[in-house]
Amino acid sequence: MPSSNPLPPKENSLFKRILRCYEHKQYKNGLKFAKQILSNPKYAEHGETLAMKGLTLNCLGRKEEAYEYVRRGLRNDLKSHVCWHVYGLLQRSDKKYDEAIKCYRNALKWEKDNIQILRDLSLLQVQMRDLEGYRDTRYHLFMLRPTQRVSWIGFAMAYHLLEDYETALNILETFRKTQVPSSGYDFEHSEFLLYQNMVIRESGAFEDALKHLQTNKDQIYDKVTSQETFGCLYLKLGMYEDAKNEFNKLLERNPENIDYYYKLHDAENLRTDQEKYEMICKYRTKFPRALMPRRMILNYVSGELFRSEIDDYMRRGFHKGIPPLFVDLKSLYKDKEKVKIIEDLLQSYLVALKTTGCFSLNRYIIIVLIFEIIFLAKEEKQPASAILWVYYYMAQHYDFLKNTPKALEFIDTAINHTPTLIELFIIKGQIYKHAGDVIEAYKWIDEAQALDTADRYINYKCAKYMLRANLLKEAEEICSKFTREGVSAMENLNEMQCIWFQTECALAYQRLEKWGEALKKCHEIDRHFSEIIEDQFDFHTYCMRKMTLRSYVGLLRLEDVLRSHPFYFRAAQCAIQVYLRLYDRPLSDIDTQQQLNTANMARICKKKKESKNDRVRLPDICTKSRYYCCYLDEDSFSRWSRCTRRPDLWCIALFACN
Amino acid sequence: MNIRCARPNDLMNMQHCNLLCLPENYQMKYYFYHGLSWPQLSYVAEDDKGRIVGYVLAKMEEDSEDNPHGHITSLAVKRSYRRLGLAQKLMEQAARAMVECFQAKYVSLHVRKSNRAALNLYMNTLHFTISEIEPKYYADGEDAYAMRRELKSFEESKSDNNSVTATENNGITTASAVNVNTNAFLSN
Repeated sequence: MPSSNPLPPKENSLFKRILRCYEHKQYKNGLKFAKQILSNPKYAEHGETLAMKGLTLNCLGRKEEAYEYVRRGLRNDLKSHVCWHVYGLLQRSDKKYDEAIKCYRNALKWEKDNIQILRDLSLLQVQMRDLEGYRDTRYHLFMLRPTQRVSWIGFAMAYHLLEDYETALNILETFRKTQVPSSGYDFEHSEFLLYQNMVIRESGAFEDALKHLQTNKDQIYDKVTSQETFGCLYLKLGMYEDAKNEFNKLLERNPENIDYYYKLHDAENLRTDQEKYEMICKYRTKFPRALMPRRMILNYVSGELFRSEIDDYMRRGFHKGIPPLFVDLKSLYKDKEKVKIIEDLLQSYLVALKTTGCFSLNRYIIIVLIFEIIFLAKEEKQPASAILWVYYYMAQHYDFLKNTPKALEFIDTAINHTPTLIELFIIKGQIYKHAGDVIEAYKWIDEAQALDTADRYINYKCAKYMLRANLLKEAEEICSKFTREGVSAMENLNEMQCIWFQTECALAYQRLEKWGEALKKCHEIDRHFSEIIEDQFDFHTYCMRKMTLRSYVGLLRLEDVLRSHPFYFRAAQCAIQVYLRLYDRPLSDIDTQQQLNTANMARICKKKKESKNDRVRLPDICTKSRYYCCYLDEDSFSRWSRCTRRPDLWCIALFACN
Repeated sequence: MNIRCARPNDLMNMQHCNLLCLPENYQMKYYFYHGLSWPQLSYVAEDDKGRIVGYVLAKMEEDSEDNPHGHITSLAVKRSYRRLGLAQKLMEQAARAMVECFQAKYVSLHVRKSNRAALNLYMNTLHFTISEIEPKYYADGEDAYAMRRELKSFEESKSDNNSVTATENNGITTASAVNVNTNAFLSN
């Protein structure tokens, strides 16, 4: 529908130039043309021109004026789809998506088949997860442009997201039939087929999915996904021999994938540890260079068999000098018997290495069986580093068992042996950390850090330990060795979404009772999560074009539960604790004044300063903590209240939630 | 450590791992860009609690259609998990996927001139060669070696269907630090 106030040809062509300028980001020129129209008294109140002027101003950062002009334009021409569309775009640029959706809907009232508006609307709808609205818009777009690939995909996607698999699959299959199979390589088609297969599987029709995959497998280039899907479908359908075949092929490609071994357990219907042990042994022989089967074996054996297996495993580690040996074996420590065996072996290595330089006292213990002939082999002398790695391991072993004196004894022996090995200082710091001495802990890590200033991992450890010791300034300084020059480290780390750092800062401030600073850090983290949700926006169009639809659905599902990430939990927990602390014991005027005087005050505190009442009021706390609480489910709540040992907080938090 | 292809869920944890290990960091959106453009190319190594201890973030260079090649944006293994050969295993998986899914002829990367350990890994273990020096490539002014590895061996293995498992495992000192410019992307 044309504007209720159409422009004569000359002005109309000027108006079209404004639009073109906007598209080409020539905002200053756009303003010039707008001025030419608006300076004519006859058209000084022309709605669409005013609106476009506003939109252009918005791009130049003049937000307030922008709103003024767009609203004035709209008031002057309420029946113009242009004015409504522009108002929608303005709201969208401010992330007011709900408002923007309303504007687009109004725009469509006056121009129901406008493709651009429909597309913009569909993006907002999927962003806001108004899936039913999205479906309707995609249907509309599909009817208008049935020849475009994106129309089909978007239409099907809408039904898929609504879990209407039948309709989604009908659309996808009809679309597939229209595709002329290209003879050569076609990655996008390959991705399309995998997406189609994903929808079939999600609908529960595993036999259909298998048939689909078999028919199309030659056109699928993503061999890993294809084989994994085959394998899982065979398993679901009870075709165990075929499943075994697929997972064996996958292991040839990647023998470090634990899931493939688990799937083979299922395919072979292995129940007992003994059966699993025997199976994994075969793969250990088959893939002698792979670490996974060697390591997995240790999970399935116990007693004497465990002793001989772990003996081999640890000797190999100490011989080669593999620093992660302890972290690798740590999960075995759930089993007390295994811990005992490990400890016995460690002690025997230590005695033997000291006296003979070998892992065993009796050097003639290795028996090699070749063609059933028994050879007595002499154990080779271990390199001088072997005993160092045993000390290193034992320090971690006793640290894990909370035997701090012993752990320290071993790490000191190790440091005496090789005073230049950085890993030793890291462990020494860790032992102190676990023992609760945050100061001594950070001192040792700082030592390590000084020995290798080019390694960011040590730098990170050092900063973290400093924060645990509430040394905020020092930590920032250490971090600044790896942040961009010219910007403060704090700022750069925020820009890079360095959540661990901000969380540790928040917790340090909380311990120091600097409530405002703590909250400021929590809010920064919260903002990262909002940003990451915002990040989706561009991918709604991008992925449809790229055809990477499986990953796209993965992204949508991730974003749906983004704030359940442990990083968020920690920050939200801190924020809630601070808010509740402020509720329990409101800041006195003096406190508040002190808090307010600190630099870089949190915004909420600034707000308080403006209000006459300096006390944090209950409704305020409720809103704030409700904000964080609403992301935590009940389970997280009870975990949280348990860990704070304050069941009353649990009630208050719930109260805040309602 | 379990080695598998990265999923969208992993991307945040990869960013975390990157921030702990390397000076070159990227915002989440750049990880999304990788994961949603070339979902097959990035791999992670995780411990038994599902924590990411190493990753390779990889992409295809989009400028050359007739000579497609992959690029390693970032590769890192936490210091406490080094000498397990993880970097090598991650790289082998990514390289193979580049050939299979995108018909890559070679894979490229950048490494700091001073990063001897990484250079050693790329040259001696992963068969990369230096193709040129890019002066002042890094934000702090350091030069980069641009390196390449031909991927023909993967193509052959594709046809006779042999396995390409990890090659030598000779106690490599795994190292890090590779980087690309975070180009503008998602341009319409």
